[in-house]
Amino acid sequence: MTAHSDARGDTQWPRWEVFKQDTEGSPHRAVGSVHAADAEHALLMARSVYARRPAAVSLWVAPSESVYARTAEQLQEGTVVADAPATTEPARRYLAFRKTSHRRAMTFVDFAGEVSAAGPDAAVAAARRAFPEPPALAWWVVPAAAVTASPEAEAEAWFEPAKGKTYKQQAEYGTLAAGRRRKGQTR
Amino acid sequence: MTLEPPVREALVARLTAMADDELILGHRDSEWTGHAPILEEDIALANIAQDEIGHALLWLEARRELDGSDPDALVFGRGAGDWRNVRLVELPKGDWAFTMVRQFLFDVFECELLSRLRHSRHVPLAEAAAKAAREEVFHLRHSGLWVRRLAGGTAESARRVGAAVDLAWPYLPQLLAPQPGDALLVEAGIVPSPAEVGAAAREHIATTFSELGVAPPDVPPNPGGRERHSEALVALLIDMQAVARADPAAEAW
Repeated sequence: MTAHSDARGDTQWPRWEVFKQDTEGSPHRAVGSVHAADAEHALLMARSVYARRPAAVSLWVAPSESVYARTAEQLQEGTVVADAPATTEPARRYLAFRKTSHRRAMTFVDFAGEVSAAGPDAAVAAARRAFPEPPALAWWVVPAAAVTASPEAEAEAWFEPAKGKTYKQQAEYGTLAAGRRRKGQTR
Repeated sequence: MTLEPPVREALVARLTAMADDELILGHRDSEWTGHAPILEEDIALANIAQDEIGHALLWLEARRELDGSDPDALVFGRGAGDWRNVRLVELPKGDWAFTMVRQFLFDVFECELLSRLRHSRHVPLAEAAAKAAREEVFHLRHSGLWVRRLAGGTAESARRVGAAVDLAWPYLPQLLAPQPGDALLVEAGIVPSPAEVGAAAREHIATTFSELGVAPPDVPPNPGGRERHSEALVALLIDMQAVARADPAAEAW
């Protein structure tokens, strides 16, 4: 935050990472971020930006600063301690996400599962032990307490309307066909 | 369901009023596209604008089933005197606080209306209401969130909410008032009782405002029926209908 502050104060809202679950049984997957004033606002923004058209059944948001990320290279080079360091932090629940593929342009980071650990480095180590396959290119761990989920009771209002809406190509509106006809007439 | 001519006529009028409310409000919301406070809100409000215009199309398609009227001709061909929207929705978009306060008042009303209209004995209307109702729950979440945050935010944001409520309040009774043909439609089980919808909406609004410490002004309702409009609607229609009027025979725009 402070890096962007100036004399008038920082008017930029905090950034939130958005995780979208496409179907029951599939993992929540990082789809991007939104700026929002608080968690409830971030969820509404996430729904409008990321779940207006595509299928979704649930959204999670977490403050970007709560995400602790480590790449496989960082873990291998030992720039961070792979095993839980001595800490006085009490153990708490973390949600662990991993990126397993370079296939697509989008940064897909999928939910792997929950671990209990004292601090983020310990959480990454615990996630690597608990979820060895498939190998991760990168790990994200987020304190469970920092994650807010879309309300299950309102799932119909949040996600059902998208199913009746499809992406419409230009041709849907007849513009191209009419344009071609007009060209033909002037020729 | 075969409708007696007077009932059908009343339903055509009612569908027109409902569609006009949604379409004009949707247009006002769309005026924020490219101008909203942040990109995410720009997208969110553009979504809501599209939803409201989509609801207008639901009602106009239901009207087409009754009298064969063309939705495009109604939207792009009518002068201000033939529109039947309430004046609340035609007021200029104002600032973000006014846009959200107006949207909140309308969303509360529409949620109360649609949750009952989905049980209409006129099946096409019940189906359309069920479709629109679920989107309206989300709209109310959004506008309610903003009214709460602005009212409980800074002195400036609270002042703006107060000013927005002062401006919108005299126009609320017209939105909640029964329309001329409603008695016939209520009797036939086609629309819910306007008195019941209005009372539920007033209670919802009063509860929210009292939680937030927002005190609506004690002012008389803005008078006149749905055929009376402000100059703001004329300016809106000139803008909205310009392309359609420039080339009425166009096949595609």
